[in-house]
Amino acid sequence: MWRDALLVAGKDLRIELRSRVALWQVLPVAVLFLVLYAFALGPVRSTLASAAPGLFWLAVLFSTVLATQRSFAIESGEGTRDGLRASGIDPAGVFLGKAAAVAAELAVLQVVLWVAMSLLFGVHVHTVWLAVVASVLATIGLAAAGTLYGALSAGLRVRETLLPLLVLPVLAPVLLAASRAWAGALSGPLSDGVSWLRVLGPFAAAYVVVGIVLYGPLLEAG
Amino acid sequence: MSVRPKTSARPLPWWARWAGILGAVGTAATVWLGLWVTPPDRTQGNLVRLVYLHPPIAWVALYLAFGLAALSSLLYLWRRTRSLFWDRVAAASVEVGVVFNALTLATGMLWGRPTWGVWWTWDARLTSTALLLVLFLGYLALRRVPAEPEVRARRCAVAALVAFVDVPIVHFSVIWWQTLHQGATVLNANLSPTIHGSMAWTLLLGFVALTLVFVWMVAVRYRIEVLADRTDAAHLEISLEERWSEAEPTSSDVGSARPPSQVGT
Amino acid sequence: MSYVDAGYAVGLSVLFAYGLGLVLRRRALERRAEISRNSEPDQSTAGPERAEP
Repeated sequence: MWRDALLVAGKDLRIELRSRVALWQVLPVAVLFLVLYAFALGPVRSTLASAAPGLFWLAVLFSTVLATQRSFAIESGEGTRDGLRASGIDPAGVFLGKAAAVAAELAVLQVVLWVAMSLLFGVHVHTVWLAVVASVLATIGLAAAGTLYGALSAGLRVRETLLPLLVLPVLAPVLLAASRAWAGALSGPLSDGVSWLRVLGPFAAAYVVVGIVLYGPLLEAG
Repeated sequence: MSVRPKTSARPLPWWARWAGILGAVGTAATVWLGLWVTPPDRTQGNLVRLVYLHPPIAWVALYLAFGLAALSSLLYLWRRTRSLFWDRVAAASVEVGVVFNALTLATGMLWGRPTWGVWWTWDARLTSTALLLVLFLGYLALRRVPAEPEVRARRCAVAALVAFVDVPIVHFSVIWWQTLHQGATVLNANLSPTIHGSMAWTLLLGFVALTLVFVWMVAVRYRIEVLADRTDAAHLEISLEERWSEAEPTSSDVGSARPPSQVGT
Repeated sequence: MSYVDAGYAVGLSVLFAYGLGLVLRRRALERRAEISRNSEPDQSTAGPERAEP
């Protein structure tokens, strides 16, 4: 399963490196979100600074939807999915591979967003380890849940509107927990922030497991 | 000659019919008892009368309906018990559950407003209930996407199970959120007063009556699902035939003879 | 109207309306199924008939 995962992850990332869709479309949209937030909330630094953690994770959430849509759009060529199935690759491996690729893209995205946010909103991370751990856990959870739902809505013509409706409520606890954790890392009480890892960890674990278990049955030829 | 399909115009099974009758009667009785016979509460006054309606509705929505939906979805996905029967039970259960879920929120808000002074608060229970509604509305939207029955069933089953897994996580997150932000805990989210005597019996009746109503509703909705699937299949056949006869180059009017290769189906 | 009355009114009317809706939906679908079964294609010269709700 792990070797299959690495294969699939490698394939997805190679496609991304060649097409650079995430780089040129998803990333700019995420940064654009930050700018739009400032327009919506007004230029007062203190407002933006206190809202920063939540806004950051909102941007990441929306980017997850885009990234997973993209991840399954590349499979829509004729017989790609059947080819994968026929080659005997473990579906759980496919799931882990695709989720890993999405996670990698999200990780790069978060670094860029972090820099942009520091510049645009004037916030600084005081406790770097908390921010990083929270990010890692959140990203795993987002990528896992997103990939599962991406597979669910793949091939549907209405997936642009349906995927957000389906997946965003599922990702809501990550938004909550990651924002509070980052708030702790940015300014607020550290212990509060750390306690939110207690939500992020189980969520990530739960959705990796759920994805591994349900991905096969979801995609099988029935 | 066409074979008469088994599920045509069958009446509901006897237990479903009785569930409907007894449920309706029981609900009426609960309303009568709740509004007129039972005494007002010492602290909440007449507002307590909503306890005969709100918790039973919530119980049906959150545990019965969505629990059944999750269980059926699991049974559908498990190969040994796979059958479209479970998919249809899940779909029926979700739709009824969404109705009851919306009612839970509505009655809760109508109870909360005079009790707490606000229509809404971001405590764990309300937030989880609202999110549950959105999650299963998504399920209903997914169900409307045209697809082969097995494909649709698989997708919906996964959506239902994930929703079911998500809710405890949300619930815990929000409890945590409220614990760390002392403010909203001033509002006592626990609406149930201590009850005894006629109030307890009425409450029990309420639970039983609405459970029976739920059973009846799911049974009817299941039958609708079966009929709808068959009607869709029949319509697809008819529109395919229409398309073939329209494609016939010599026919100038609609509804003319079918191409000779199309005798019967 | 008190909040209690409003609560009961909303609860009961929605339940009633939904239940009624279920019954009507089922009747309509059964009628449609009946009709499309009666217009089954053993008449090979007639054109396809649309099942009327």
